[in-house]
Amino acid sequence: MSNPLADMEKPDVIFCIGTNMTEAHPVAATRLKKALARGAKMIVADPRRIRLAEMADLYLPIRVGSDTALLLGMAHVIVREGLADPGFIATRTEGYDELVDHLQEKTPEWAASITGVPAALIEEAAILYGSSDRAAIYYTLGITEHICGVENVQSLCNLALLTGNFGREGTGVNPMRGQNNIQGAGDSGALPNNYAGFQAVDDAANQAKFEKAYGRRVDLEKGITKVTALEQCGDRIFGMLIDGENTVVSDPDQEHCIHALKSLEHLVVIDIFLTETAELADVVLPAASWAETDGHFVNTERRIQRVRKAVDSPGEARPDWWIIGQIARRMGMSGFDYDSPVPIFNELCALSPIYNGIDWDLAESGQYQWPIPYRGHPGTPRLHEGAFINGRGKFSFTDYRDPAETIDEDYPLWLTTGRRLESYHTRTQTGRSEGINELLPEETLEVHPGDAARYGLREGGWARMSSRRGAVDVRVETTRRSPQGTVFASFSFADVPINVLTGSGYDPITHTAELKVCPVHVEPIAEKAQLAAD
Amino acid sequence: MNATTSDIQTTRTICGYCGVGCSLDLMTRDNRIIAVHPAFDGPANEGALCVKGQFAYDYVHHPDRLSHPLVRDGEGRLRQASWEEALDRAAQGFMDVQQKHGRHAVYGVASGRTPSEANYMMQKFIRVGFGTNYIDNCSRA
Repeated sequence: MSNPLADMEKPDVIFCIGTNMTEAHPVAATRLKKALARGAKMIVADPRRIRLAEMADLYLPIRVGSDTALLLGMAHVIVREGLADPGFIATRTEGYDELVDHLQEKTPEWAASITGVPAALIEEAAILYGSSDRAAIYYTLGITEHICGVENVQSLCNLALLTGNFGREGTGVNPMRGQNNIQGAGDSGALPNNYAGFQAVDDAANQAKFEKAYGRRVDLEKGITKVTALEQCGDRIFGMLIDGENTVVSDPDQEHCIHALKSLEHLVVIDIFLTETAELADVVLPAASWAETDGHFVNTERRIQRVRKAVDSPGEARPDWWIIGQIARRMGMSGFDYDSPVPIFNELCALSPIYNGIDWDLAESGQYQWPIPYRGHPGTPRLHEGAFINGRGKFSFTDYRDPAETIDEDYPLWLTTGRRLESYHTRTQTGRSEGINELLPEETLEVHPGDAARYGLREGGWARMSSRRGAVDVRVETTRRSPQGTVFASFSFADVPINVLTGSGYDPITHTAELKVCPVHVEPIAEKAQLAAD
Repeated sequence: MNATTSDIQTTRTICGYCGVGCSLDLMTRDNRIIAVHPAFDGPANEGALCVKGQFAYDYVHHPDRLSHPLVRDGEGRLRQASWEEALDRAAQGFMDVQQKHGRHAVYGVASGRTPSEANYMMQKFIRVGFGTNYIDNCSRA
C-alpha cells in the first residue's frame, strides 16, 4: 500500500475495485466502515454485488475483465471536466499532454460499450473521485489476476496522478496483500528479478555486492517465474524445492500443474500437512507452524512485525529456516551456519537498503514501515510524500484488450473466482478447524436465478461446469449477487477443484494468471461424480 | 492472578492469515493454544479480529500435522524417515539434478505464509547453491 492502514479512515472518497474486502481482509474493511460512518463516499466497481457494493454510494457492475476500459473512461471524464490537478501534474508527473491525446477517444460511451456500466454512472464516478480533496483507491486480485493486470494497475495510477492523490493522508493507490507475509517474501528476495530489498539482479553493482556477501557470483540474467518453471518441468527443470505452497490446488490448470510436478526427477516439499502437493514429493519435510516459530511477517502497509513461538511443534517438525539451512549445509554450501533466526534477519537487514535502519532488536516494537534507510530513521508509513522515489510519476498509455478467452456458444458464461470469509486459500488450515467447517461446509456455485432457469439448474442441485481445460461438479446456489451471465466460485475446496478450469492466460509482464476470468459451460447433473482415485 | 489462570501463558504475535497483520495474544496452557485474544494496541487491528484470526487456530494441534520427515520408497510410497536420512536424500537429489542437467535445472518456490527468515533462506539457498535467480514466491497465483 502507498498509505498506511490508519489512512483508510481518512478519505473523502473511497474507490474500491476488484477487492472483496469484507470477506478477504475483514479487519481492514472495518476502517472503511468507520470512514463511511464519518461521511465519506464510496464507489465500488465489481462484477458481483458483494457486501462492499451494498455499502457503496455508487456501484459500478462491470463485466469481468473490463477494468481498464472503465478506468480510461473515468480518466477521460476527469480531464474533460477540468478536475485534473494542474499543480501536481506540473511538478510531480510526466506525459500529461500525451495522456490527454491518448484519452481523446476513451469516452464514457466507449467505456460503457465494453464494461456494460451505463456512461452516466461512469461520469458520476469520475466526477466524485476527481472532485474530492482526498480520494483513495483500494484494490486486490480482481485487478491483478488478469492478462492485463499491469495495465489495470497503471490505469489506477493514472487516476491518482491526474488528481494529485498521492503522498497525502487518506489518498494513494493501495493494493491489499492477500497472505500474511507475501510482502515479506518479496522483500526478502524470493523473486527471480530482485535480490533482497528489491535490488535488481540485472544490475552489475548489485551482482558484485551479493557476490561479496555470498561468496558466489549469481547470474546477471533474471531468473524465470514459477509459472515458466512449471511449464519447463521435465524439459529444462528437473528439481524443485517448494516451501509452504499447495501448488496443485492454488495454481491454474490443475492437470498441467500435476503433470509438471510429476515429471520432475526430484521434488522436495516443506509443509505442515501432507498437502495435495506434498503427496507428489520425493521428500517431505515437516515444518513448524505459525504458532511454533520466531521471525517476522511484513503486512500490506509494509509494517515489519515480530512473530513469536508460543507452543512446541508436534513430533520432530522444525522451523523452515533450519530445514533449508540443513539441506544447504549437506550440499557443501557455506554461509548457512545459523543457530537461530536472529542472524538471518540481521543479514537481510544489512543487505537491504529499505531495511538498513533496523535489526532484530529494533524490529521488536513493530513500529517500522519500510523504507527505513538508516539507523534513527522513523520508517515510512506513507510513500511518495513530496516526491516519488524515481523522480516523476509517469502517466501510462494503457488500452483495453479482451481477456485471453471470451464467451462463445460453447462456453457462454463468465466464471470468476475468489475468496470467502470463512475459508483461507486451499483450506489446509481452515479446513482443519472445526468451527470453520460448520460455518462453511462445502463449496457452491453462485448462479443468477435467470441463468439457473436458462440452464436448467436448481437451488441445492448439482451442476457440471466445464471450461476448455476440464470439468468440476459443484452444488448450485441461486443468488442475485452474481449478475446474469457470470457465475462465481472459490478455489478453496480441494473436492471442487475450480482451478481445473482456469489457466486461460497470463499477464505477459508479471506472469500472474487470469484467475478472474474463465468462460465456462454449465449443465445440471443428478449427482456429483466421484473424484478419480488418482 | 487466580489459581485457574496462573498456568496460562500469553504470547504476543501476528495473525497468520491475510496480509492485514493483526496483532493478537495466543493464550496457551500445557503447550496447547486455548484461546486467541485480539490486541487492542495492535497497530493494524486496534482490537479487531475476523472469524479466521479469532477462531481458526485449532489446525495447529490437528492430528494430520506432519510430525516426521517422509521419503518415497522403492515402491513409490511415502514412508517415515529420520531427519538424517531425509535431509541427505533432499540434498543428494539436488546435487544429482545439477550434475546431470546443469545448475539451471533446479527451482525454488518460497512461501507467502512463512516468516521472512524462511524466504531469505530459500532465495539464498538457490543463489548460493546454483548461482541462478531461479527463485520465486507464490504471489503470482
